[in-house]
Amino acid sequence: MHLSTKKSLFTRFFPFSLRDLAVSVAILSCAAGICFLLQHANSSDGFASPVFVLAVLCVSRFTTGYLFGLLASVLGVVCVNFIFTYPYWAVNFTISGYPLTFLVFLAASVMTCALTTQARQSERLRAENEKEKMRANLLRSVSHDIRTPLTSIVGSTSALLENPELSLPERQELLEDARSEAQWLIRVVENLLSITRIGDAQANITKEEEAAEEILGESVRKFRRRYPGIRVSVEAPDELLMVPMDPILIEQVLSNLLENAAVHGKSTSHIRVSVRREEMFARFSVEDDGGGIPEKELPTLFDGTLRHSSSSNCDGKRNMGLGLSVCLAIVRAHGGAMSAQNISGGAEFSFRLPLEAQGVIA
Amino acid sequence: MTIREKILVIEDEKSISHFISTILNSNGYEAMQARSGSEALSMISSHCPDLVILDLGLPDMDGLDILRQLREWSSLPVVVVSARSHERDKVQALDLGADDYLTKPFGTDELLARVRTAIRHTRTASGNDQIAQKGTYTVGELTIDYNKHQALVRGENVKLTLSEFRIVALLGKYAGKVLTYDFIIKELWGPRAGGDNQILRVNMANIRRKIEKNPAEPEYLFTEVGVGYRLAEGE
Repeated sequence: MHLSTKKSLFTRFFPFSLRDLAVSVAILSCAAGICFLLQHANSSDGFASPVFVLAVLCVSRFTTGYLFGLLASVLGVVCVNFIFTYPYWAVNFTISGYPLTFLVFLAASVMTCALTTQARQSERLRAENEKEKMRANLLRSVSHDIRTPLTSIVGSTSALLENPELSLPERQELLEDARSEAQWLIRVVENLLSITRIGDAQANITKEEEAAEEILGESVRKFRRRYPGIRVSVEAPDELLMVPMDPILIEQVLSNLLENAAVHGKSTSHIRVSVRREEMFARFSVEDDGGGIPEKELPTLFDGTLRHSSSSNCDGKRNMGLGLSVCLAIVRAHGGAMSAQNISGGAEFSFRLPLEAQGVIA
Repeated sequence: MTIREKILVIEDEKSISHFISTILNSNGYEAMQARSGSEALSMISSHCPDLVILDLGLPDMDGLDILRQLREWSSLPVVVVSARSHERDKVQALDLGADDYLTKPFGTDELLARVRTAIRHTRTASGNDQIAQKGTYTVGELTIDYNKHQALVRGENVKLTLSEFRIVALLGKYAGKVLTYDFIIKELWGPRAGGDNQILRVNMANIRRKIEKNPAEPEYLFTEVGVGYRLAEGE
């Protein structure tokens, strides 16, 4: 064991935070207050110990690590002895059963702290497992998404090289195929980059206040260049909407949703993109007039399982698994939520981002 | 005028360097290729190119270092090429004096547009021919009148505030080029203005509402996400 790991072990078991300090002080003052009140109402002093045991339990439960729990138990014993047991306002270590009281306090604190820490750890483990599962799913989806276009690119270019007698239109067609497959690959890789950008913990994304309309406008501009045949209308509120976000990632979400609307809507000719304020959230929505989402896929769309049952999907290679998983991961990392529904004559994908940075501020 | 502008392509990936050169050569430029930073620096001093296309990820030295060294003695236009996820590099390169950037992967039209803009801006002292000659800059239905300090859309004054006009004027002076948030803030509010770009965002939002038909579908004022703003180029 090196010094650094020892130190980190120490801080893991005895972390200090002002919030925990405040919580402990509040709980202990409550306990003391209750004891004072009871003391006035009743002359016996048997109530002090249980009240303080409860206070110590609460402190251990609501703070992180062992530090405050242990401090509270020591303080509790002293309080009980000093203030609330005869002789009042004097320390008397000769009271019978005193060592027992002290032990009870300590034991209660240590056990509660241990339970709390354990619960938190298993929670973290579960979150890590979930992330691991998502990653494995992504990897599977990606290798699938990459293999088909690569085959096509190698095939078309080999055909060109090996068949010099091909006519000009035939050559053109093969080259265009290769190019569009390569462009598809670029999008797959961009999605992967987004995932690495989210990193390991939620705190890793750096949020900055961005004007929602700017991000929306840019995503749509890039989309139009790729799909000039699809009409897109954009709506943003008159009031400037500033949303804390990683702009590159949210742009990725929007461009994935637009791309999905164009590719999976099958007959999409018009897409409506909008952003508006909904209480403490900004709601982004992408609506298309395509074929909608198959009913049986709706419930499992966002549960992280990627569908490869190409039976329902006639072009199984272009599954929207990767794109949507990336969207979901990004939106979740922002503390937001995503949803999808069929609307009259099409599908709507929407996501909400909190307007105020909540919890961890990176 | 058959003198072709010389462009030095500094890129270590052979296939990318090859395709950039092919595009440039077939569009009336004369492309040269350098595979490493040291080769590039010696080629710049011996061949005096009119423009440099610089990939930031080179094997022997950091692209930003090349830019830094180059800027010590030359104002030769530089278009930086970088990967998508590194917008910090882009901003840094622009703040170090790069003229523009291309994000990999880029298309032919994008490459040619950036090259054209960068070469044009070095030819005129004020940064923009039109402004130097007429005192106005026009793109589409938008006209920026530098003498009267006004912006007009379809001939009508859109009544920008002073700082709004100064932003538009600055973007117009460098039309077609991306200006970083920092650059705009420093030009407008002095070098000691803080790094907070909220005021700039709010100003831009107001300008968009006055100039654009739909602020969420800009025709003139484009956002380069994470980097800065760019005003559409005329013609």
